[in-house]
Amino acid sequence: MAKTYELTDVEEPNLLEEQFDYSLPPKIKFVDPIYEEIDGELIKFDPQEALQRDLVITDTTFRDGQQARPPYTVEQQVKLFDMMAKLSGPNGVIRQTEFFLYTKNDRQALDDCRALGHTYPEVTSWIRADKGDFRLVKEAGVKETGMLTPSSDYHIFYKLKKNRRQAFNDYLEVVEAAWEAGIRPRCHLEDVTRADIEGYVMPFVSELVKRSEQVDPDLHVKIRLCDTMGFGVPSPGAALPRSIPKLIHRMVNDCGVPQDCLEWHGHNDFHKVHINGATAWLYGCNAVNTTLFGFGERTGNPPLEGAIIEYISLYGDLCGIEPMMIQEMADYMRSIGVDIAPNFPFVGRDFNTTRAGIHAGGLRSDERIYNIFDTTALFNRPPRVAITDKTGVDGVALWVNNFLELKGDEKLSKIKVHKIARWVTDQYEVHARMSAITDEELEEQVKTHLSEHYTVYLEKVSRKAS
Amino acid sequence: MERDEIKERVYKIITQVLKIDAEQVQEDQGFTTDLGAESVQSIELMAGFEEEFDIEMDEDDALAVQTVGGAIDFIGTYVD
Repeated sequence: MAKTYELTDVEEPNLLEEQFDYSLPPKIKFVDPIYEEIDGELIKFDPQEALQRDLVITDTTFRDGQQARPPYTVEQQVKLFDMMAKLSGPNGVIRQTEFFLYTKNDRQALDDCRALGHTYPEVTSWIRADKGDFRLVKEAGVKETGMLTPSSDYHIFYKLKKNRRQAFNDYLEVVEAAWEAGIRPRCHLEDVTRADIEGYVMPFVSELVKRSEQVDPDLHVKIRLCDTMGFGVPSPGAALPRSIPKLIHRMVNDCGVPQDCLEWHGHNDFHKVHINGATAWLYGCNAVNTTLFGFGERTGNPPLEGAIIEYISLYGDLCGIEPMMIQEMADYMRSIGVDIAPNFPFVGRDFNTTRAGIHAGGLRSDERIYNIFDTTALFNRPPRVAITDKTGVDGVALWVNNFLELKGDEKLSKIKVHKIARWVTDQYEVHARMSAITDEELEEQVKTHLSEHYTVYLEKVSRKAS
Repeated sequence: MERDEIKERVYKIITQVLKIDAEQVQEDQGFTTDLGAESVQSIELMAGFEEEFDIEMDEDDALAVQTVGGAIDFIGTYVD
């Protein structure tokens, strides 16, 4: 029989502000550990322990991010890199970003970015598993390079036309060549979520860890777990090779990979790209590899700005991050012709725009009801309402008050905007309009029906401009 | 102002906004339930009353009024 629960009546609303402090993205609060059964043993993963580690974001906007689009110019890369450094802040939350080295354009971009003198993100490179490519890395003066070391039989047999032993030996030769060149190797285990973990991945990674012991700690090999096709699954109980918890446990506990040498690189083919990265952090991987706005091969990579917000939510603190830069980067991307979907979280034109009249009514009463956090303070993006036949008078009042920048007692009531609301209604009911009302059309209505307020608004704008 | 005068002027606004005849309006009728006022029309009624009586009503209180008779009494509290 179900338990009976007594209603707790309260005088004041309980807004659960310990988790929903409106000034920040809502905190992800853990009160219990996570358990995963691996080989019949119950393994405990403690999120509190995860937060004690040096969790970082790494970036591949200029590598994987460029594979999905026409190349950025050198100037564009330098501009984005500079903004990324500001977003990252002094603690280096965005710890590294990687560059191609193959074209003159690639090398120029790397040099110019480094010349800006930012501590973070550190500049690394990306090459094929080819010993000859180390010449490029050395010439570029880069201390760490990623290299392709595909791990599934799909890649080893069908792409590289090798067998496992050949791949194993060839990759190790390239790693040794990196060390000889004084460069830290980062092995990108391509397609690891479709690989034979016990039969190939673990022997290879164990060998890398063993050989790392022979070199300076600054040169210890890093492992990037590449979920190349987005097959990774965050759920406890899932089987290898798709289980992210088990995969990370194998790497850390069974192969001895230090957590600060482990990185997750995801793809979004199954809509799991962000949660998979966040899961990797919690289960023992220190770095999550991302791209700005998730642009990357096919369906893309974990969005950098999503990881930034996740980071703030986990720590409950900005950690030196400058979130406003996210919007500046989005504006810059738009200015160079990059499309960002209107509903894309945090940066899309409509990410905090409501069209539903009942939501607009809520926003008008208290914006916290239908806004995710203080997007005005953190992003300079106040919640907005787009006017359609569904928005109602509440939506029109909210739009008008936002447009006229009226606050508190200055705000106009629904009664005061009734002529504009009538005009909107007639657009749909009389003129059978099918599209949303544009801001320009609404401004014209404000000018016509609220001319005194419009004049005050223009004076305000003029004062600001001067 | 006498209640009858308020009633007469309220009826005038209702017939103008809802485009119905005065004979169709009764005090016990609800604006939305009986007279079919839609969302925008409810606001237009409020605006019409404000203009007619040269008053400024509290929006939330005004919108809480459901019936014609209720509106007459509510406006009465302002014109008195």
